[in-house]
Amino acid sequence: MISFIVLMSIVICFSAILALALNFQWGLGGMVNFGLAGLYALGAYACALLMLKGGFNTFFATIGAMVIVGVISGLVAFVTLRVAEEDYFAIVTLGVGEMLRLVALNEDWLTRGALGLSGIPRPFGELVPAEYYAYFMLAISAMLVAATVWFLNRVARSPFGRIMRAVREDDVVAATLGKYVLWARVRIFAIGGALIGLAGSLHAFYYQYIDPTQFSTIVIAYAFMAVIAGGRGAHAGTIIGAAVVMVLLEGSRFAKDIIPWLDSDQLSAIRIIIIGVGLILLLIFRPQGFLREYRLQVELK
Amino acid sequence: MLQTAFNGIVTGIIMTLPALAITLLFGVLKFPNFAVGAMMTVAAYMAFALNAGLGWPLTVATVTVAVVFGGICIVIDWLTFRPLRERGGITLMVASLGLGFVLENLARLAYGNTARSFAMELARPFRFFDIRMNREQMITIVVSTLAMLAMYVLLTKMPIGRAMRAVADNPSLALVRGIESPRIIRWTWFIAGMLLAVGGVLIGMDRAIEPLMGSSYVISVFAAAILGGLGSPLGAFIGALVIGIVSEMSTLVIPPNYRIGIPLCVIALILIFRPQGLFGQAYIRK
Repeated sequence: MISFIVLMSIVICFSAILALALNFQWGLGGMVNFGLAGLYALGAYACALLMLKGGFNTFFATIGAMVIVGVISGLVAFVTLRVAEEDYFAIVTLGVGEMLRLVALNEDWLTRGALGLSGIPRPFGELVPAEYYAYFMLAISAMLVAATVWFLNRVARSPFGRIMRAVREDDVVAATLGKYVLWARVRIFAIGGALIGLAGSLHAFYYQYIDPTQFSTIVIAYAFMAVIAGGRGAHAGTIIGAAVVMVLLEGSRFAKDIIPWLDSDQLSAIRIIIIGVGLILLLIFRPQGFLREYRLQVELK
Repeated sequence: MLQTAFNGIVTGIIMTLPALAITLLFGVLKFPNFAVGAMMTVAAYMAFALNAGLGWPLTVATVTVAVVFGGICIVIDWLTFRPLRERGGITLMVASLGLGFVLENLARLAYGNTARSFAMELARPFRFFDIRMNREQMITIVVSTLAMLAMYVLLTKMPIGRAMRAVADNPSLALVRGIESPRIIRWTWFIAGMLLAVGGVLIGMDRAIEPLMGSSYVISVFAAAILGGLGSPLGAFIGALVIGIVSEMSTLVIPPNYRIGIPLCVIALILIFRPQGLFGQAYIRK
């Protein structure tokens, strides 16, 4: 049971980073990312391939994955937002995500297609004894979550954070005030992309095996659910949101013992239905989520 | 070559109905609805239940489902999108994504992941010179053409169609002329639901009925609607044909697995060179 909790905490950690990335792009930046699953896959594959084919060590492979996903995200934002608005951006991200997933599925020479990549090395895998590795991984993941939150808080409170919120609330006003809206959006999307790459790398380290089915659209549903439940723009809320969503999901595995007449396809379908309904209900009844965005407060005397 | 072009035309014609539905919904509601794929899937499964389950002829099943599904769409809109109407496009898009998950998985819950097909007796393909044409393709062409003609008459000749276009153009101006947008929104959903239902059945006939059948078309259909200029019905028709032909022809050059890349490239090119689409009107924000 203890080991189950530890393993689940690791899953929560990298889901939280993914949700934080989405929260940064959507909650703070006001740009939806429907290609999240594909970009997440790109992060995991980039990290794994840099190690397996490129001979990088785990640290540089993670950095590499972050750079790759960040650059691709920035490019997508640049090409689309240069001319069009959010509506089109959502469609393009959806398409790019799907395309990335197809590349993972079809380029056998690189990704081994549906077979997936196995034998992915872990950070300090040889140094840390196997029985303690889960604890070690949890420590690293938790530290990375803390670092991510620290970084995002810094960004949110910096001048750039104020530009982000201005662009989100009203880009025309922001542009009128002389802010370079396109460049701000590209940066937001690229930073978010780098975090998606980090989450993808942790995913690869944790499972040590990746295949395209791990990155289906369900990932998008979970991440959006975590962000909405936590409160758009609120970092702590997003982490709690991710934790609650993952606990519900992993916990529903035990539902199989209670309702044995459903097969696993049906159970996963029910899970996604619940997520989808929850998403819509939260949007309608509690759009601000359960925690609120950081606001600068000044003491008045 | 000729055969591929013909298949492309049929693929395009299959997409005309959903593309038209998207464009109508976007025109009136002003957000891209990502649930359309899942809606087609659900409608196709409903037709499958009547056709294969109860043994109804496919024609009767399709007409029934089209009408019922139009009604279902009104209910869905009332439950999910109506409360969010004032919240802006991004919230509505995310809600439509959630709705898509729900609908797709309701179908999966009921029928599992196995691919199914309608109960139709097999027929020999016809031959026209060098082009092979099977019966499903002929049905597709005839049904879609009839539906497009009906839509043309509806939008140009009938009061409700004119009212829809008026609301799409300028809701407040339409209100001044006594056109209530809630009523028009209901009608738009009803018509879009019928189009999606027929589109779903045609896709199910062309390929197979499985949970992802509708969503696999979403990007192509959006590309078609954007190419034609979101909100322009004629544009949606022509956009669908172009996307269909280009996607099928592209398989001669690139691996078929990456067909989805074509609509994506088309979207990128339009956004760069002609953001309002071929038949849309350029407009200035604010």
